[in-house]
Amino acid sequence: MLAVTMAGATTADEISERAKRLHFSSLVIDTHDDTTQRFLDRSFDLGARNPLGSIDIPRMKEGGLGAIFFSIWIPSKITGPEALKRALLQIDAVHEQVRTHPADLVLATTADGIRDAHKQGKIAALIGVEGGHMIASDLGVLRSYAALGARYMTLTHSGNAEWADSSTDKAAHNGLTPFGKDVVREMNRLGMIVDISHVSDKTFADVLEVSKAPVFASHSNCRAICDAPRNMTDAMIKALAAKGGVIQINYHVGFLSQEFRNAEKAHPEWDKAIALEVKKRCGDNEGCTLIEGDRITREYVLRGDLPRVEWTKIIEHIDHAVKVAGIAHVGLGSDFDGANMPFGMEDASKLPQITNALLEKGYSEDDVKKILGENTLRVMAEVERVSRELNTAR
Amino acid sequence: MRPVRVSLFACLLVAGFLLTQVATGDDIADRAKKLHFSSIVLDTHDDTTQRFFSKSFDIGKRNPDGHIDIPRMREGGMNAIFFSIWIDGRIMGPPAVQKALDQIDAVHENVIKYSKDFAFCRTAEEVRRAHAQGKIAALIGVEGGHMIGNDIRVLRMFGDLGVRYMTLSHFYNDEWADSSTDKPAHNGLTDYGKDIVREMNRQGIMVDISHVSDKTFYDALEVSKAPLIASHSSCRALCNHPRDMSDDMIKALAAKGGVIQINYEKSFIDQNYKDAEEKLAGGVVEMMDKLKKECGDNDECLNKKMTEMTEKATAEGKLPHVSWVRIVDHIDHAVKLVGADHVGLGSDFDGANMPEGMDDCTHLPQITEALMRKGYSDDDIRKILGGNILRVMEQNEKVSREMQAAAH
Repeated sequence: MLAVTMAGATTADEISERAKRLHFSSLVIDTHDDTTQRFLDRSFDLGARNPLGSIDIPRMKEGGLGAIFFSIWIPSKITGPEALKRALLQIDAVHEQVRTHPADLVLATTADGIRDAHKQGKIAALIGVEGGHMIASDLGVLRSYAALGARYMTLTHSGNAEWADSSTDKAAHNGLTPFGKDVVREMNRLGMIVDISHVSDKTFADVLEVSKAPVFASHSNCRAICDAPRNMTDAMIKALAAKGGVIQINYHVGFLSQEFRNAEKAHPEWDKAIALEVKKRCGDNEGCTLIEGDRITREYVLRGDLPRVEWTKIIEHIDHAVKVAGIAHVGLGSDFDGANMPFGMEDASKLPQITNALLEKGYSEDDVKKILGENTLRVMAEVERVSRELNTAR
Repeated sequence: MRPVRVSLFACLLVAGFLLTQVATGDDIADRAKKLHFSSIVLDTHDDTTQRFFSKSFDIGKRNPDGHIDIPRMREGGMNAIFFSIWIDGRIMGPPAVQKALDQIDAVHENVIKYSKDFAFCRTAEEVRRAHAQGKIAALIGVEGGHMIGNDIRVLRMFGDLGVRYMTLSHFYNDEWADSSTDKPAHNGLTDYGKDIVREMNRQGIMVDISHVSDKTFYDALEVSKAPLIASHSSCRALCNHPRDMSDDMIKALAAKGGVIQINYEKSFIDQNYKDAEEKLAGGVVEMMDKLKKECGDNDECLNKKMTEMTEKATAEGKLPHVSWVRIVDHIDHAVKLVGADHVGLGSDFDGANMPEGMDDCTHLPQITEALMRKGYSDDDIRKILGGNILRVMEQNEKVSREMQAAAH
């Protein structure tokens, strides 16, 4: 209910007519959403407006979200065959949602597929695999994911994969192992975007060296503003851009705001308390865990324990990345339904604010379009082109 | 008679094309050859997939062993093949899912590698198109319900990866279906097993009742909205093996529009051989178990050892000779029972012991010629070679479309 109350804080009439026109005529792509977890809970209906969480078809339409990457995610401590079986169930869950809502959703696997969906007035549903641990060190499994429609894979999640180091684990492989490099090459061949969110700085550097196609960070922010290992340094953002890639800005308060991060660090007991309370409410239900985690964190903010972070922090990160790397290399990767949203960006219906704010900052309409989705489409098209070349060469 | 016959086969084996040489001037042989090489010849069961994991095997080259490769498929006019995804029925849960994915991937990778010869197909229409382009249609069947990890959602993912039939069990019962070669545990299909059959209908994945117990067969027949197939089973009236189908079962399968695809395995087509094999090794399951101990996870080794063992026993007189003509006997029995619309070919190449004279797929034209000599019409022969299974595929596709349309 808090989310609904806060929704009233920024009303649609604050958004200029020009911003509305621009936003709703643009292809708005979000490269990272954890809503997939909720699909596994039979009581969740993507077609209905939900009081909690950030994503459903009514709110996506209201916010003009034209394409969404549904994230396939299981905890990184689950590996081997169990990991891939669970990943398959989530891929199936995305396919089933598309089958259940054929008037609103269409599965897309290419940049052209997204554009076609948009022309038909449908939302393009795409699949990204968030963590290399889900391939069980098996290129056959990776290829199966690609065949089932997965169009990017984040090389690690918060723990190291068997062949790649994570930014939030102890370095074990000095970046990518030789097999990890093979994974990157195979992803290039398959036309899957290599996602470097979550990986260690050394893994990132290794990927840039090995990949024949541009890579992206599906949901990462700027370390210059918020010094989290999950975020990227200016040098990394520059290197990513030099390769033609894109940094997709994450809306998670802990990655947006240094102040929030400091407060969290100062009170590790809160994090434990939140986790305990979530466990009590949700058990093993991952979808519930993500939603309740966000809700309880907000209670700490409203009590004044944790600092309040405004949605405008997102604009600061976008603007910083644009200044560092140029307009062609920044996009949106919300982390909706998988993170703690800032005030004013509770759900997908709030997205037009971003367009409005960027126009107010003096960004041109073309520049805004690039950030909203065109940059991501360019990377996808380029990854597809490299894939065709590599397959022809074979 | 036997030594004479054997030497004739040996002769044919050494020079396969001799058959056509001898047949020159023979009207039936000529007509048969024309008919065979202008038909879609679709084999619904081949275990060649296992060999994709062996470094020494290349499906693009003529191999000295085994039954299937592109050159020999071309020579035998086999232009459509279901590659079987198979792992031991005692491997279950997530590890089974992973191994199945690896095999599905291996089929796709080989199709990509030899895309000049192969076209991956999911529908009857695609098989016809591949044939019109002079390509071999490659399809996928999953041989055993144990590979879905007891989860209908994994089945759907297999369907999305191109799987077009699933055998409900292999030699052992799975979590939801009884096998014909295991002790009954579920009295046929469990409720979940019935849901799986319905979901297969919805996905357009053909329900394969080879390997399943008689009760499972009748349960599947009752539940399925689409015709079923026996991807590789023969006639129990001629060889009383639990893997084969009784006349009643074949009639019930046909009444529902299905098709029995005759298996060439010696112990499924010849009663004397089956009896002798049981005396020697206790039966096909026991025999494979014993070899499994020697080969471990190497399924390529398993097939090789099985062939070596049976060849040695045959040479020593411990197992009888079985002629390829027995295949035609089974086809003819089934046709007499239910008509030519309900019989086809499911060789079990690269997964079974072939009868003499059917040493690999280059020998397939013999079947066409033998049926012609028996007086079968060209139309009926085309149906048996592939037309019937394409009809069943189309009907499954139609049922799938109807069920999906009804859901919205």
